[in-house]
Amino acid sequence: MRLTKRYILNLDGQEMTAEIATEDGRVEIQLADDTGGPVDARPVLNGRAWSLRQDNRQYLVYLTALDGKGSVAATLAGRPVQMTALDELRALALADIEHHDGGGVLVADIPGLVVEIRAEVGQKVERGQPVIVVEAMKMQNELAAGISGVVSEIPVTAGQAVNPGDRLVVIEPEEA
Amino acid sequence: MSTSSPREINKVLVANRGEIAVRIIQGLREMGIRSVAVYSDVDREALHVLSADEAVPIGPAPAAESYLSGDKIIRAALDTGAQAIHPGYGFLSENGDFSGAVEEAGLVFIGPTAESMAVMGDKLSARRKMRASGVPVVPGTDEPVTDPETAVKIADEIGYPVLLKASAGGGGKGMRIVHEPGEMAAALRETMGEAGASFGNDAIFIEKYITDPKHIEVQVLGDGEGRAIHLFERECSVQRRHQKVIEESPSPSLNDELRAGICAAAVKTAEAISYRGAGTVEFILAPDGSFYFLEMNTRLQVEHPITEMVVGVDLVRAMVEIARGNGICYRQDDLAQHGWALEFRLYAEDPGRNFAPSIGRIETMAIAGGPGVRLDTGVYEGFDVPIHYDPMLAKLIVWAETRELALARARRVLGESVVHGITHNLPFHLWAVNQPSFMDGTYTTHFVADHFTPDAWLPELDDGARAALLRAAVLNEDRRRGNGQPTAAATQEEPANWHLTALRAMTRNI
Repeated sequence: MRLTKRYILNLDGQEMTAEIATEDGRVEIQLADDTGGPVDARPVLNGRAWSLRQDNRQYLVYLTALDGKGSVAATLAGRPVQMTALDELRALALADIEHHDGGGVLVADIPGLVVEIRAEVGQKVERGQPVIVVEAMKMQNELAAGISGVVSEIPVTAGQAVNPGDRLVVIEPEEA
Repeated sequence: MSTSSPREINKVLVANRGEIAVRIIQGLREMGIRSVAVYSDVDREALHVLSADEAVPIGPAPAAESYLSGDKIIRAALDTGAQAIHPGYGFLSENGDFSGAVEEAGLVFIGPTAESMAVMGDKLSARRKMRASGVPVVPGTDEPVTDPETAVKIADEIGYPVLLKASAGGGGKGMRIVHEPGEMAAALRETMGEAGASFGNDAIFIEKYITDPKHIEVQVLGDGEGRAIHLFERECSVQRRHQKVIEESPSPSLNDELRAGICAAAVKTAEAISYRGAGTVEFILAPDGSFYFLEMNTRLQVEHPITEMVVGVDLVRAMVEIARGNGICYRQDDLAQHGWALEFRLYAEDPGRNFAPSIGRIETMAIAGGPGVRLDTGVYEGFDVPIHYDPMLAKLIVWAETRELALARARRVLGESVVHGITHNLPFHLWAVNQPSFMDGTYTTHFVADHFTPDAWLPELDDGARAALLRAAVLNEDRRRGNGQPTAAATQEEPANWHLTALRAMTRNI
C-alpha cells in the first residue's frame, strides 16, 4: 500500500511543500519544485544526521529538533540553516494557535538576568521598540516589541533571573 | 628562586576553568604531575573537573566568589598537598596580590613575579620602562595628561589622528580616537571619566593613532634571572569588539629582517624586567614597516597553541620547568618556524546578531580530525554552557606546511565540523578564510568592520544542497513522529474542521 503525507517547509525564510510516500518500506520524497532527483536516505550517527545520496552525490546533513513546532537546526558542509518542517495538519493547527497569540508575547530565548525594564503596563509601544534588557554572559541584550500595541503584563522585575521560555513582556495589539 | 635549588613539583593546582584548565591538566599528566581542579557550584560537570586527578569546590557560580577568590584557591592547594598553582589566563593570572599570597603560603606561582606584573599592568610605567630599555614605543607622552591645551599641543607635535588611552585600561575600554583639535576637550573629559569609573585610575596618555595597524605579538620565555628567548611571532589581526577570533603563526606581514627586529625587541623587553616564565610581547605594525611596543601579557596566552605547532614546543612544560628552577628547557639556536598554523576560537555567539552571546546545551559536537588538526576544548556533547563565564568554548587549530595549505586544511575542517545546541561562530570562520584579504594576508584589525555584512554573509545553497536539507528535515520530522507509516496514513483524508479543533488541543502539549 502506498501512504503519502504532505509537509510544509521553510528554509531560511522560503516556503516550500513536499510529499513523503512510503511503499513496502521504501521512502520517496518529492519536493514541490521537483529539485534533487531520486534519493537514497538513511539516518546515521545515532540519529543525529541523515546521509542522503542524490544521483550518487553524497550529503551529510546534521539535524537537531529545537521545539515541538517543527523548528530544526541543520548543518551541511559547515553551512548552518534554520528550517521548519511540519506535516500539513500540524501546520494548520499551529497557524490557528499563533493567530490567537498574535506575536505580542516577548519570551526569553536564553537564560539571563533582567537588568532593565523600559516599559510599563499600560504604555503604548511601537514594533521594534526596545522594551527590556537581559544580560547573559556579561553582554546586555535589548529585546524589542514584536508588535505595536499596549503593554498588558510584565511578569518579571529588574534583577530577576530568567530561563528560556519565560514570558518577559506581553503586548496586546491595538484594535484597528 | 635560583637555578641551583630546584623545587619539587609533583602536584599542581590549576586555578582556572574551561579549555585552558583542560590544556594545562593534559600537559601536567604527560609530565607525570598530578593535577587538582577547582570548580564553582555550576561547574561540577565541567570538562576540567572530569579531566583532573583531584577536584575541590570553591564556591558559588559568580567568579568573584569562586575563581577569583584567591584565599579559597590557596587553601585548596594547601589542603590537597599541591606544591604549585598554575593560573592559566584571565581570572587571577595577572593579579600581583594573588601571586604574592601564593608565594607567602610557601607555594610556587607558575608565572612571573608580582613586580613584572606591576610594571606591565600599567601602560604608562610599561612605556617608560621600554623607552629606557631601547624598545620602540608609539610616539606620544610618558606622563598623564589632564588639560586640553597641553593635549592639543602634544597632538600637534605628533600629528593627528591621535589616540587617548587610559593607563590602567584594557580590553578596548578607555580609548578614544581624536581626529582634530576641536574634538580634544570632550574626548579627554570622556576618556578620563570612563577610566576613573572602570579602572579606578583616570590617568590618560596620548599616542599617535596608527591607521591600518596589524597586531603582531612575540612569544617569550624568561628564566627570571635576566635571560630570555623568543619563540617567534603570531599575528592576531582578526578581531571583533577588540577581541581576537583568529590567530596565525608565522605572520604573513613580516619579512626575515622585520621578524628578526621585532623578535629581538621582544627579548629585550623580557630581559629588561628579568621576566620569569611564559609571556607575550604585543606590537603594533604600521603599514610603513615600523613597529611599536604595545603591551606585555604576563601569562600563558589563549593563542599559545599555534606557537607550539609551528615551533614544536610545549609551553606548559616549559613553564613548569622554569617554576621548578630548571631554567628554560629550549635553546634559542635550536628553535625555528616550521610550517604554518591557524587558530579559530569557538565562541558561543551569533555573528549575524552583532556577535551576541548564545547559550544552551551542546547537543552535537563533531569536530573534524585528520592530519594537522588540534582541538583544545572545555566543553563536550551534553554539556550545559553556564551563563556566568566567558563564551569562548574551544579552539580549533590547524597546521600545514605552508599558509596556502593551512588555509585549505582550515576550509576542510571547518566544513566538516558541526556544533548544534548553541549558536556559534564556526560559520564565521569559514566565511573569513574565504575572504580575499584574508587569503592574501593583507587584512588589518579593521577586517571584520570592513568586510563583514551581518545580513548577507552565509554562502548561497545550490539546488542539490537545498534539496538534501529539505528532504532531511522531512525525514527527520517524520521519523520523530512515528517513522512514517501510521501518521502518513492519517493524511489520506482532508482535514475537516472538527478534526482541527481536536488537533489544536493536542499540539498545545508538544
